Amino acid sequence: MKTTFHEIRGRRTQVTVGGDGPPLVYLHSAGGETQWAPFHAMLAERFTVYLPAHPGFDSSEGLETIRDIQDLAWHYIDLFAELKLSAVPVVGFSLGAWIACEMSVLRPQLASKLVLTAAAGLHVPGSPMAELFIDDLAKLRKLLFFDPAGPAVNEAMPESLDDPRIYLWLKAREATARVGWNPYLHNPRLRQHLWRIAQPALVLWGRQDKLIPLTHGEAYARELPNARLEVIENCGHMVPWEKPAEFAEAAVRFLRDE
Amino acid sequence: MQFFAFHLMPWDRLPADFGDRYETAWTWLPNSMYDPQHGHALYNRYLDELVLAEELGFDGVCVNEHHQNAYGTMPSPNLMGAILARQTKRVKIAVIGNALPLYNPPTRVAEEFAMIDVISGGRLIAGLVVGGGPEYYSFTVNPTFARSMFHEAMDLVLRAWTEPGPFEHYGEHWKLKYVNPWPRPIQQPHPTIWIPGAGSKETIELVAARRFGYMGIPYFHIDFFRKNFDAFREACEKNGYTASPYQLGWLCPIYVAETDEQAWAEYEKHLFYFAHHLLKGLVVLPPGYTSIRSIAGIHKALGSFLSNAKSRDDIERGAYAIVGSPATVRQKIAEYAKELGVGNLLGLFQLGTLPADLTRKNMTTFARLEVGG
Repeated sequence: MKTTFHEIRGRRTQVTVGGDGPPLVYLHSAGGETQWAPFHAMLAERFTVYLPAHPGFDSSEGLETIRDIQDLAWHYIDLFAELKLSAVPVVGFSLGAWIACEMSVLRPQLASKLVLTAAAGLHVPGSPMAELFIDDLAKLRKLLFFDPAGPAVNEAMPESLDDPRIYLWLKAREATARVGWNPYLHNPRLRQHLWRIAQPALVLWGRQDKLIPLTHGEAYARELPNARLEVIENCGHMVPWEKPAEFAEAAVRFLRDE
Repeated sequence: MQFFAFHLMPWDRLPADFGDRYETAWTWLPNSMYDPQHGHALYNRYLDELVLAEELGFDGVCVNEHHQNAYGTMPSPNLMGAILARQTKRVKIAVIGNALPLYNPPTRVAEEFAMIDVISGGRLIAGLVVGGGPEYYSFTVNPTFARSMFHEAMDLVLRAWTEPGPFEHYGEHWKLKYVNPWPRPIQQPHPTIWIPGAGSKETIELVAARRFGYMGIPYFHIDFFRKNFDAFREACEKNGYTASPYQLGWLCPIYVAETDEQAWAEYEKHLFYFAHHLLKGLVVLPPGYTSIRSIAGIHKALGSFLSNAKSRDDIERGAYAIVGSPATVRQKIAEYAKELGVGNLLGLFQLGTLPADLTRKNMTTFARLEVGG
């Protein structure tokens, strides 16, 4: 794969591209999986995967002019134009899935199909999202993973404040808070627009997601006109990290065959 | 040296198993623990202690703002400032401070501070603060905007006090068509301004450039104060003037009794209730509240934070609190005040569970020793 930088309306934006086949855009989560990970490689066996870093994540700049989730959606509308991407499958995880929805409300033609994995974006009464912005990494591991001692955990996030990856992690946390602090990881007005997203959508969720409960996946599947919910067992919020093969197989099956 | 009596108005009745059962005294500590009947007694007792400070000859009293916590039950320091404006006649009333991003619109601060200044006949010291990390959780105010909201609000409050209204404010965070607060403050061009800081370079430079007062945030090791106050004086020199000692304040818990041994015997458990219970959860770093580069520095300084002190020896070595006989306290205060070069001593004479009788004895003994002397 190859990482390049693009000026998107004044924001220097990092985009990593890898793989073979038709284009696919992967929109990353609050955790900032912008470095090529096993699940990116799995998708890249069938697709040319575009992996941009959101403003403020990794080496992408321009968080100063991002005030809310819609600013991010417009950033991606501009980025798709710059990269000449249109009617391509979009795979989003958590924050990235939320951005994919916001972008598709504004420009339905950009995504041909959507894979929405453990998507943020909705408020479901009686089913609050847990607190993501805590300092304690051990607690965070328990919150995000079904198995907090599993092999993917240390790949996915820093072990401690002394871990050299902490710098990117703190940047990611700040850039997420910018759009997700209040309202908390959702847009109260998104739900009333979901009917506009008519393209086929696969809603993927970990059964044991403690950050964004499965009820949110059910709400997406119900409100989107053309969506199907698939639940992965023994899996927390970090679906692509915790179940990379199941995640990639479900996405590829849906994008190629259905 | 000017002497101030600072009160946090802490909650003194946490359950015995608090340490095991609760991770924090902030934000999420169930408010079912708050007993309003006891609160009635406590608020009145604490206010009496600040009124006593005037009778004893202190130069001023200090209150501050915190929300949803047991550390300081003063969500509105302006209410306390207003009461003190009426119940005292002479002392400075330092409200340090109002957490500007929590006031919407922040012209509210210009109004309420002006009210206290006018009622008290110009005795207000106006503290402007960003607010603590926990406040951003408690109010769900976006911490990635904390600094820019603080700067916009500070400029707006100063403008509201110094520029004839009505005028329009068109900022990033607030858009106000008619800024025209009544009343205006007595002190001209505006009340004395103090800004507390925990060593951030940005804050030190801002306070130095505007010639405000810089109050060191307590509970850090004495070396941390020394470093920050030196940096402040240096920043003032860069701005073309020499800092006055009255621009600097040292905030510190103080306990004085007949002998060193008696002081420690009377004080120790109350101090550690404070250090190990009430401080628990005070330092959180919500995203964007601190720059990523300074998080490392804060992380390092936290290694020598009062909450980590385990023994009398730890306390004395870090000068987290000044405790002892009149001779010991007098000598230590003289020594540290000289080293730090401060003109204001902000003493916490009540801390944690320290009861009313010991608080009064402490204040009275201290006043005889230092105040007006």
